[in-house]
Amino acid sequence: MGSSITTWENVSAYFTFADSPFILGLFSIGVAAIITGLIISIIRHENAAFDKI
Amino acid sequence: MENSPTLESLQAALDAQQAVFEMHQAMNVEVFYWWCTAIMLMIHAGFLAYEMGASRSKNALAAGIKNILAIALIIPAFYLFGWWIYNAFPNGFVPIEAAAALPWSASMGPDVQDMGTGIFWAAFALFGATTGSILSGAVIERIRVSAFLILTIFLGGVVWIMAGAWGWHPDGWLLTKFGYHDVGASGVVHAVAGFFTLGVLMNLGARKGKFINGIAQTISPHSLPMTLIGLMMIIFGFFGFLGGCIIFNGGETGWTTIYGTPTNLSAFAFNTLMGFAGGIIGCYIATRDPFWTMSGGLVGIISVAAGLDLYSPSLAFIIAVCTGIVAIQFAKFLEKRGIDDAVGAVSVHGFTGVAAVILVGVFAAGTPNAEGLPAISFVGQLIGAAVMGLMGFVPGYGLSLLLKKANALRVPEACEDIGIDEVEILVKPYPEGSVPAVYTGDVPNKLANTEA
Repeated sequence: MGSSITTWENVSAYFTFADSPFILGLFSIGVAAIITGLIISIIRHENAAFDKI
Repeated sequence: MENSPTLESLQAALDAQQAVFEMHQAMNVEVFYWWCTAIMLMIHAGFLAYEMGASRSKNALAAGIKNILAIALIIPAFYLFGWWIYNAFPNGFVPIEAAAALPWSASMGPDVQDMGTGIFWAAFALFGATTGSILSGAVIERIRVSAFLILTIFLGGVVWIMAGAWGWHPDGWLLTKFGYHDVGASGVVHAVAGFFTLGVLMNLGARKGKFINGIAQTISPHSLPMTLIGLMMIIFGFFGFLGGCIIFNGGETGWTTIYGTPTNLSAFAFNTLMGFAGGIIGCYIATRDPFWTMSGGLVGIISVAAGLDLYSPSLAFIIAVCTGIVAIQFAKFLEKRGIDDAVGAVSVHGFTGVAAVILVGVFAAGTPNAEGLPAISFVGQLIGAAVMGLMGFVPGYGLSLLLKKANALRVPEACEDIGIDEVEILVKPYPEGSVPAVYTGDVPNKLANTEA
């Protein structure tokens, strides 16, 4: 569903959703959310671990 | 004769040959940077071993996990905003148009017509990861993993690459206004990361037990051999790093520096190896200590990296020896002021990076830059060195201060006593054996008792 090309003739960017900056922007937000979420989860893990000392 | 070649057919054959040649040349560029990037990963393998070895056994895995996570977070961060920062900020703090480098651009992914963006992005992402690793070693055994990751994303994804846009970009203002020369990234990577680290260390504080009544104590690595091997792995990775600093041009241009001036890998080879050797000797003379001797290899390479394309090899050797000796004095200076840099990163990378940039101004002043740009000068290099130092220190100090105020920078004292592995990582590095955690010797501090 994400293919950005229908032929290999005169192709430039051909990756999934290359023709849809909006979707790529959503993916970028997803990447940022994963990074942020990971750090938040580490903070929670640390706080829980430190509380058990 | 019906089969005689015509002028048109000869031209067509020539054009076809030219197209094949150009395609293969473009592929060679990709192949070169692909392997530079792969070799650069050895820097991170080296830092992993080096930092785990430098920790006491109770903190070995905490040191390792933060190093692994650092590279895993800097890479996507560099995709999201690092590459855009490099392309958007050569003029200072005001961005220029660089929409093609944004993560939602069609340029930021597989493209049949573009054999450069991905491979350069990858090399730069790994340079960024190196800055994170430089910070990582200095703060072992007391920083919270979460705080370190916030700091390292900021350093590896924003700070260094802003400095890179200024001083390591064909249109960077430090080059166009002052003729700044830093081909091997002594300033934009090492000085920035080293002084960022200093800012963090000032807020983080020393490891518990490092200073007793103001006197620095030795906290010995739990595995000095692992540390030494790690350092040698970093040296190996440096060949990928420095290879990634040279520009492989298509057409008839050949190799150039990132500033567009002619150079080649032979020049880099002479001075990388002579600097490596000199740095080892300098640090050995100054300390007789295995850890510092091997760190001297890094000092030596970094000390000549800024002028890697310009120095006579003997001069590079002498620079590296002398910088190795002085870097030890800088490490002592910091320690006497209560800075606990567990691996000497501020000295090895920060001090040496700044010194390397200035030394280009001392020894290579007057060397022309590309047409229309100012020649290399002492004042230009001095300004560049100051910019790199401040560009590292101010953000590092500022962000770590915010984390400290939020009580989010350092592990609790009880955790430090027990060991971060036991409290947070929940895995023992050596479950079937014991490794002495603290060495107590007659000499209160090795660095303070070295002769030079």
